[in-house]
Amino acid sequence: MAEKVKLFVNGQEVEVESGKNLIDAVGAVGIEIPHLCYHPALGADGNCRMCLVGIEDGRPPLVPACKTRAVEGMKVQLDAEKIKKIQHDVMEFELINHPIDCPICDQAGECQLQDYYMKYDGQKSRMTVKPVLKAKKLDFGCGVVHDQERCILCARCVRFTRMITKTGELGIVNRTDAARVNIFPGRPLANRYALNVVDLCPVGAMTSKDFRFKQRAWFLTKSKSVCHGCSKGCNIFIDHNREKYKDDVIYRFRPRLNEQVNGYFICDEGRMTYKLENDNRLGAAQIDGKDVGFNEAIETTRRAISQSSKVVVLISPNCSLEQMRGLQKFAEASNFILSGYSEGYIQVGDGDDFLIKDDKSANRASFALLGIDATKASFDAAIEGADLLISCQNDLSRSISDSDMNSLQEKIKIVYISSYSDAMSSKASIVLPVASYSEDKGSIINSDNVLQQYDVAVRKNNPIHNLIHVVNLLGGDIKNCEEAWADLTANIAALKNVDLEHLPNEGLVLTENEVSNVAA
Amino acid sequence: MQVKVLSTKFDIPDAHKIDVAKEHGAYSTLEKVFGMQAEEIIELVKESGLRGRGGAGFPTGLKWSFLPKNLDKPVYLAVNSDESEPATFKDRYILVRDPHLLIEGIIICCYAIKSHAAYIYIRGEYTTQVKALQAAIDEAYDAGYLGESVAGNDFKLDVTVHRGAGAYVCGEETALLESIEGRKGQPRSKPPFPAVEGLYGCPTIINNVQSIASLPFILANGPDAYKAFGTEKSPGTHLFGISGLVKSPGMYELPLGLPLLEVIEKVAGGMRDGRTLKGVIPGGSSTPVLTPEEAKTVTLDYESMAAHKTMFGSGGIVVLDDTVDMVKLVENLIYFYHHESCGQCTPCREGLGWMLKIVKKIVRGEGTIADIDLLTELCDNIEMKTVCVLSAACTMSTRSYLNKFRHEFEAYVKNDVSIQTAM
Repeated sequence: MAEKVKLFVNGQEVEVESGKNLIDAVGAVGIEIPHLCYHPALGADGNCRMCLVGIEDGRPPLVPACKTRAVEGMKVQLDAEKIKKIQHDVMEFELINHPIDCPICDQAGECQLQDYYMKYDGQKSRMTVKPVLKAKKLDFGCGVVHDQERCILCARCVRFTRMITKTGELGIVNRTDAARVNIFPGRPLANRYALNVVDLCPVGAMTSKDFRFKQRAWFLTKSKSVCHGCSKGCNIFIDHNREKYKDDVIYRFRPRLNEQVNGYFICDEGRMTYKLENDNRLGAAQIDGKDVGFNEAIETTRRAISQSSKVVVLISPNCSLEQMRGLQKFAEASNFILSGYSEGYIQVGDGDDFLIKDDKSANRASFALLGIDATKASFDAAIEGADLLISCQNDLSRSISDSDMNSLQEKIKIVYISSYSDAMSSKASIVLPVASYSEDKGSIINSDNVLQQYDVAVRKNNPIHNLIHVVNLLGGDIKNCEEAWADLTANIAALKNVDLEHLPNEGLVLTENEVSNVAA
Repeated sequence: MQVKVLSTKFDIPDAHKIDVAKEHGAYSTLEKVFGMQAEEIIELVKESGLRGRGGAGFPTGLKWSFLPKNLDKPVYLAVNSDESEPATFKDRYILVRDPHLLIEGIIICCYAIKSHAAYIYIRGEYTTQVKALQAAIDEAYDAGYLGESVAGNDFKLDVTVHRGAGAYVCGEETALLESIEGRKGQPRSKPPFPAVEGLYGCPTIINNVQSIASLPFILANGPDAYKAFGTEKSPGTHLFGISGLVKSPGMYELPLGLPLLEVIEKVAGGMRDGRTLKGVIPGGSSTPVLTPEEAKTVTLDYESMAAHKTMFGSGGIVVLDDTVDMVKLVENLIYFYHHESCGQCTPCREGLGWMLKIVKKIVRGEGTIADIDLLTELCDNIEMKTVCVLSAACTMSTRSYLNKFRHEFEAYVKNDVSIQTAM
């Protein structure tokens, strides 16, 4: 626990963490100091002057809160008239050359300038001279579009490319009110995290080409979730909306703070995986390429299982811990062979030392926890002489060659239980659609052994059954997540003392020993 | 009235050459200096009462004593030779006419603050000056006054000349450091102050050229000899650049404390025939203007200037007569500071541009009384809310014209030609 200090804000005594800057320190106890350029991940710059606070008996008496450490006995003035006037004056300066085009600005509704205007300014414009005209809709690359007129030159984006990605594509050129954020000529943004500048931008100066003009921010429901793009498990917000007469659709992913996992950021590839949740989804059950009723497909599958002598269940490393347990129990009870073979989900060398991992699946660590074999040798052995392959979310075509896939298809009847229409679904005799992770809940373990949970975000007009339920219909014991939790805590040593119903928000680190012990 | 403390060699032909300079006493203090302890020199400079000649007038010896003790980092000296404030033209004389005086001062200062590397940050436009200075430094290296062993003593000192690229703001000490480090010249937030964390994160002393050039005299003749000039609180001499509408504008070395009007009359030759005094800018364009009434009582020292609610500044005196249009002067003034704003922080970046547009509107005859009031209010809203004092340089001076010559602004608004100054 960090050391605490007592200080006074507007005469009221508060206890805050020592050593932190005033914005963070008093922010933690619910007192807001307005700021535009400061961002906890990017440090203090002190250029916006919005966080100026008075320090009673202090030298100097007026300081930027972002650059001032909380000190025992400090008397911070935040509601003094002179401080309120400064906030109002700074807002006036921010806005005199701002286009105030909120009605057509994507940031509207989640814009610091808007919020602060309502809270700290609220005055009519006194601008009777022409504003500075600047360039608009500059394509900065990586899907980032820049509007110089909306820009308040807080330099968050510039600092991001210097401090976080260390690629330095952005800079501020010129001085005085000719200062502009820009790229070097012919050298656009070129890093795998570039779209974070859109989130970092406190105003509408940085917009995402992908998202702009699609939705107003206030219509979006912001649901917490965990990205399934790779094994890092970055925390995200799924921003989705059901427009009148339409279905619930995801419009974007945004990073969600988790100091233990991803901090404030996510990668661009992960951010764009929201498209997989909307498009190319399996809608109806199919038998031999023809749409059929869901129950008919279930019945046909059950019949196929009963007529088969050797059944292999192929499980995806993207399945949740609960789904895996459900399938594992089902396979054990029915004498099926369970394999997690999914070599194709790993792109060796693609990861970096920040957030992106080689493994493009979200929950491979659970294989180790549950003792699920994912080797090619055991899969090959399992498939030998088998007459039915039930793949759960595992697109085998990613792991084996086309010719191997074709010969497999000729030898073995394939049932594909999946959310996505992909190469595997075209090979399967029976296709059973299930909910994807954005429509389901579950737990996953990331590459650093952090156990995290996600909840149902999107509710489709015609909800699709989740995988556990489908497995239950096919004969599995476990009916839902809750039953899976009970089974997991009872039987898996590493989860013995874990309250799966009430996991901490930032996830729970499972110590490496426990996982490897169980796997061994 | 003129004295020769800093300018002793200014009129000697070829005094910028080391042989001539040495003939007239250059580097003669070094033997004494290296016979003293560093702390003794700091005490001596404190005793002399020498104040920073860049404009702020902070006691030089006291500044040096702010260096942290028991350092494990190198200490740097940065000599501020950015001299960009409009109406200021004093340091350039030292750089061209007696550069060895500056180098000698640098050696004294570096020995006192235990620094082995000094940077001279010189204004980019000073092409003649940089050539003269570099030539002198080269001579000093050759003569053994700089380099591994300064004047045969166990003391190493390197002096590097760093040329600016034409930004006024780089005269601000932390912007100057940023510029030396190769970044965009933008002032840093303080604290930390440069004496604790300056150039390359190391303790750094930043002094003006004239402050450093005053050291050899103090070392040679003692603090009392220096204090014999000037007033009790503002001792010594200063290079005054007197410009504007006087008969003999120029650079004059004077002791501090002389009455302003007397200096204008006797040193600068007085007003042009048939013209009357309208105002005086006492120390560079950023200092608040004095009315003829105020000019009567003010003397050329830090305390008297402060008592008249202006500043001594850099000694750049501009004399304004009745032909000067104060509104257009303010337009010019704001134009300069707006153009030179680094654009880092909001009030200065946005505010000065707004002020410029308002004053232009008034000059065009489209202004209103409300515009004059807004201009006055903006001065308050911008001042001291920024990272550095560049904006205050603009607003303090602008406010003084708005308060003291408001009728001229109102004449523009009312389109009253009779009050407007005819040029």
